[in-house]
Amino acid sequence: MKKFFSIIGLILTFFIIYFLQANFFNWFNIAEVKPNLFIVFILVIGLFIGNKLGFIFGLIFGIYIDLLIGKAVGITGIMLAIIGLVGEYLDKNFSKDSRVTLIFMVTGSTVIYELGQYIFQMLKWNTNFEILPFIKILIIEIIFNMVLVIILYPLIQKAGNYLEKVFKNKSILTRYF
Amino acid sequence: MYRNKKTGMIGIIITIIILILTVILSNIDIQKMSYLENILNSLVMPIQNGLTYLKNKMEGNESFFTDISKLQEENEELKKKNSELEQTLREYEIIKSENETLKEYVNLKDKYQDYQTIPAYIIQKDITNYNQTIVINVGEKDGIKANMAVIADQGLVGHVISTTQTTAKIQTIIDTASSVSCNISSSREPIIVTGTLEKTSNLKASYIPTDATILESDKVETSGIGGIYPKGIPIGTIKEIVSTKNITDRYAYVETAVDFKKLETVLVITKN
Repeated sequence: MKKFFSIIGLILTFFIIYFLQANFFNWFNIAEVKPNLFIVFILVIGLFIGNKLGFIFGLIFGIYIDLLIGKAVGITGIMLAIIGLVGEYLDKNFSKDSRVTLIFMVTGSTVIYELGQYIFQMLKWNTNFEILPFIKILIIEIIFNMVLVIILYPLIQKAGNYLEKVFKNKSILTRYF
Repeated sequence: MYRNKKTGMIGIIITIIILILTVILSNIDIQKMSYLENILNSLVMPIQNGLTYLKNKMEGNESFFTDISKLQEENEELKKKNSELEQTLREYEIIKSENETLKEYVNLKDKYQDYQTIPAYIIQKDITNYNQTIVINVGEKDGIKANMAVIADQGLVGHVISTTQTTAKIQTIIDTASSVSCNISSSREPIIVTGTLEKTSNLKASYIPTDATILESDKVETSGIGGIYPKGIPIGTIKEIVSTKNITDRYAYVETAVDFKKLETVLVITKN
């Protein structure tokens, strides 16, 4: 039952993030660059829940985003699914119980996600590779995501630990001993 | 790190799956997914519609207070502009009458009057940094179909890429995946303009003929080639010409006629 309500909660969080991205961050941006909270969201699911749920959520939410606003169906799904898997991999190899490691994880994930999206765009629509503007936007986006992670860290940690307890059925530190 | 044969195989299989998926995805026609899109849209778009309405209302209230101090200044400026405009209007009247007589001579119809358009509100702008698609509040119910051209009062906005019953998704001309065949209106030289990542108000004009003479502030309009955009819709003005060592590679930046940051209403051309 707890699992069911947690999943409902995650779906609601997705919609809240969607409306934040579509409205709030269209106004509250740095040099016209918006953050990407979807990456942080799916990474956190991958990190704390695991069990391939990051992958599944990433795939479903990504395809949903593509259908709502994307030019092609599927690429956001695949990239977010990869972020979910990356989250799971990072959880197995690193500690997520510090702000700094989480910031590094978000940075890496943002680079992987945006690079994947951009390369797909180049392949599908044969667009020019504008390296400098791409890097400029990417850096601002990473900084924006970092700031948001720093601000939201207590919330992420609390929600994450709760989800970990519900889905993994074990206390947080057992596997380190 | 220890790696056995099994993990290696899984890696290869995953890579192959990703490659196959990339090929499949790059060939999916988004319009064919319209049924699914319809269902999913109905969950989000009503709320998004309401939020956009609220935002527009709130913005209106804000500007009421902030603008009072600027009004006097603006008034003076507008008076000056008004007299200038009156002057240009007189010139315009002369040119118009000349133009009409010329049109009668060659038996041409005024094309702009032939366009049938449907007005629409933008209910959502893109949520990511590398795409420039927008969603409007009219859809199949209002007769919107894929590949219809979308304009604003100043010029070209883009074209419809997919529709649902009540909404339509538009790829704007400032999207990096968009390329429009155009003419320079004075010299009639053909060029291709594509979206750039650098600035939302800039387009890159390339494939400029080597013998073409282009000047800054030349107007650019659609050429009608390609079948999506009708001929003669203004796109913008040439802002900067960048010369390269090889003249075939030279390009220019075009400033869009439409201010995409402030764009709120558009017209969809349903019939040319």
